[in-house]
Amino acid sequence: MPKISIKQATELALEVGRILLQSGSATNRVEKMMQKVCVGFGYPETESFVTPTGIFISVKDKDENISTSIRRIESRRIDLGKITRISRLVNCIGEDKCSEAHIVKDLDKFRAELKRIDAEQIWPGWIRNLCGGATSGFFCLLFGGAWMEFIVAVLIGIIVSSGLKYLGRLGFNNFLLNAIAAALIVFLAKLMDLYIPYIRLDNIIIGGIMLLVPGLSITNAIRDTMSGDLVSGTARAVEALFITVGIVAGSGSMLKIWALWGY
Amino acid sequence: MRPFDILTLMQFCWAFLAILGFSIRVNLKGIKILFTAISGGLCWATYLIVLFYSRSVLFSVFVSIILVCIYSEVVAPKLRTPVSVFVTCAIIPLVPGRGLFQSMQLYIAGENILASKSILQTLMIAGTISIAIALVSSVTNLIHKMLNRF
Repeated sequence: MPKISIKQATELALEVGRILLQSGSATNRVEKMMQKVCVGFGYPETESFVTPTGIFISVKDKDENISTSIRRIESRRIDLGKITRISRLVNCIGEDKCSEAHIVKDLDKFRAELKRIDAEQIWPGWIRNLCGGATSGFFCLLFGGAWMEFIVAVLIGIIVSSGLKYLGRLGFNNFLLNAIAAALIVFLAKLMDLYIPYIRLDNIIIGGIMLLVPGLSITNAIRDTMSGDLVSGTARAVEALFITVGIVAGSGSMLKIWALWGY
Repeated sequence: MRPFDILTLMQFCWAFLAILGFSIRVNLKGIKILFTAISGGLCWATYLIVLFYSRSVLFSVFVSIILVCIYSEVVAPKLRTPVSVFVTCAIIPLVPGRGLFQSMQLYIAGENILASKSILQTLMIAGTISIAIALVSSVTNLIHKMLNRF
């Protein structure tokens, strides 16, 4: 393993942690991965504390020099592909048989690879929107929808998926984002109902809502709490609760508005 | 609905395709997509089959989540993927989006008692999912520790 300075090691570990946390990884995993990076580059005495909104790391070398750094994490979006690739990369540290072993031995290559993973878009935007539509449509079928409802649900799913991306760029918080998306789903479904006869709205709206439900937050909350990270476990649970309340508030108020309008 | 007829197969297919779309939406690629999709379909099909025999929603949710969690723990290391990636995709069909919407509808309609009942049911399902995931991940941790010791 090459020797790198304590500042560089801290910086590298923080970068790994940032990408993992922003993609929606469990905090326990982030801590383990940062630890692994530091140990791999020759700093076994590393302490880190990760919450869903920030990373604290402190690296110590043999001469009792300590380097501590804090990174605030603002935007978070689900990206399981990045988590997988970063985990693969970090797990290769210290193993010779790995396909990525030559990358993790060189600091510059490691940095370049991290940057590449962070910037990479695996699927183009339109495919992801289309898949959002497919998810919504097939959930509609799963809960007992007919083919006409399937088509409407696919349309709504595509519109909401692309809408979420633009809303995310405007920098809304999670609650407002989900409330607006849920309201949009109900609005579009009601609008389609005016022009297309004999469709049941329930299945369509539920199919759309399945795009928004906080599955990842629930999983992470449980995993964090079980691994003893009570702070982040609670934070994730509250996040899941808030997203849920946002969905309910958005779709409920839109339904009520339509009812008041008189249709 | 009989447990092993063509309808269950169709439901398996819908869940499979829905999770296929979901996993592409969260940027997974390669052969992993196929395996996460199978886990989603498996989750929903097991839920339906157990529901037919046991007539208890919570028990069915518990059994099916435990099954897919074990599936994830077995398959994920082979594909060099974190287990949580698999579990996240697999539980999506059972996350109670429908219960949520129905409670909200009932609440708006002014049926407070029915709405409370529905909300309670939704919360119970979410809690059961959590317990099942926690159970499997703790037991797996324990097994790994045992294997490392001996």
